Amino acid sequence: MFENIPCKNIVLETLNLEVQVRERTILQNISLQVASGEILGIIGPSGAGKSTLLRCFNRLSELTPGLRVRGEVRLMGSSIYAPELDVNVLRARVGMLFQEPVVFPVDIRENVLFGARRLRKLSKGEQDELVESKLREVALWEEVRDRLKQPAAKLSVGQQQRLCLARTLAVRPEVLLMDEPTSALDPRSTSAIEELLLEMKSRHSIVLVTHNLRQARQIFDRVAVVCLRNGVGQIVEQGESAAVFNAPSAPEFRDYLGQASGM
Amino acid sequence: MRRGLDIVMGCVAGGCLLACLTISTGLVWSIARRGWGALSFSFFTEQIALVGASGGILWNLVGTTVLLSTAFLACAPLAVSLALMERVWLRSESMKKALRLGLYTANGLPSIVFGLFGFLVFVQWCGWGKSWLAGGLVLAMSMLPTVTLVVLERMAAIPQRYIAAATGLGLSQSQVAWAVLLKQSWGGLISGSLLGLARAAGETAPIMFTATIFAGVTFPKGVVENPVLTLPYHIFILAQDSFAAGVETKMWGTALVLLGLVFSMSVAALPSRLYLHEESDV
Repeated sequence: MFENIPCKNIVLETLNLEVQVRERTILQNISLQVASGEILGIIGPSGAGKSTLLRCFNRLSELTPGLRVRGEVRLMGSSIYAPELDVNVLRARVGMLFQEPVVFPVDIRENVLFGARRLRKLSKGEQDELVESKLREVALWEEVRDRLKQPAAKLSVGQQQRLCLARTLAVRPEVLLMDEPTSALDPRSTSAIEELLLEMKSRHSIVLVTHNLRQARQIFDRVAVVCLRNGVGQIVEQGESAAVFNAPSAPEFRDYLGQASGM
Repeated sequence: MRRGLDIVMGCVAGGCLLACLTISTGLVWSIARRGWGALSFSFFTEQIALVGASGGILWNLVGTTVLLSTAFLACAPLAVSLALMERVWLRSESMKKALRLGLYTANGLPSIVFGLFGFLVFVQWCGWGKSWLAGGLVLAMSMLPTVTLVVLERMAAIPQRYIAAATGLGLSQSQVAWAVLLKQSWGGLISGSLLGLARAAGETAPIMFTATIFAGVTFPKGVVENPVLTLPYHIFILAQDSFAAGVETKMWGTALVLLGLVFSMSVAALPSRLYLHEESDV
């Protein structure tokens, strides 16, 4: 089940990861690898623990009381649970985009700078430059260049999600974690985000959780299928995206595909 | 049967509301009617004369302002720290519950208990004697639970997604506390403080042991043995000695000013509190 990627440069990997909430195991035997310049997709039914798994990659899982993680997660070969590792530095290196856009109640410019200007010293000129370059990177600059001082909450949901992406990119992450980032968006905003992801994957490794099978087939390089087996979330299948979708072998995954296409 | 019960419940609730309104209107009316005659420009600008029978309440107003400002300055950082402690740094639920229980209990403590504590600690042990600083600190203690609980209420209304997003960007706990929690709970601090101060402004028991005298002082020039004149203590003394009609009018006038002060602070806290409830409805 565990597929090594020997010839590529591994950025993020997990080995026998297990997650427990209080005494209940919700994820086990999670071993996967993310290579540089690729999009790894995580798909599977609701409640299988996909979002929880994603949050283990930058230790955001620690915000959930009672959650315990065992096993190994490595970023560039180093354990993210090593005692000398600064968890805040880790979270800046492994950025996160949530299901619903979370814009802070400040203006658009401040939203882009929210993390960056607190993590490193930036002169006024550098701030302006950063805001413009990141908003251009997410294809939002032309739409907001004249209203950078307006509240970010006034943007459409699709624009807000791109703004959140710009804010995450501004802290210079190596890996991007995305938890169903297009589920709250209309089809146009969804395809805008998908185009961005394909363009960005040369610079960042991306791990994306989605329920959207069309999206999964089109933009994932590889895919890991997380399903419940004996009541516990596990990777039931993983590999090159086309191979996994064309010849699903795990019965749980075939059921999921059947249900999803029947919807 | 159920409809009848609804009507009875409605009538009882309406009756209670009417009783409350009648009592508060009657209270304001009786004070305003008796005190209105005392109010004049000179009442606010002159100092006390003839044991309260003449002059104004200038230094009483100043003294009360000094005490309230001191109480606010001492209470605000403590309230914010306690609230942050509960929200960010206390990990165990039982510790959080213990802190909240402590705050609710302290909120119910009679103010005279704070007064006695202040008398023992500041007046005697620190050797300050009757001092504006002792009074301000005692009032700060008495309003601390109210202010902290309002700030906590505001912080609890901040959606968890903001904290997750800020943490996910790599911000440390203290940066999240500053950039998210404090930024979005200033309104709570202001409204909580105004409510606390409105209550503290009328407190007599805690400051009569620690900070205030009836006459003979103006603006404090130091800490030790530097009491102030205050509005509630002025009313207290005049009420005991109101044998002359002039004194009585001055007493009601002072009570009216105190009422106005408390009322305006409560009204000032209103927009911030309404905003909180609007926000938590989202």
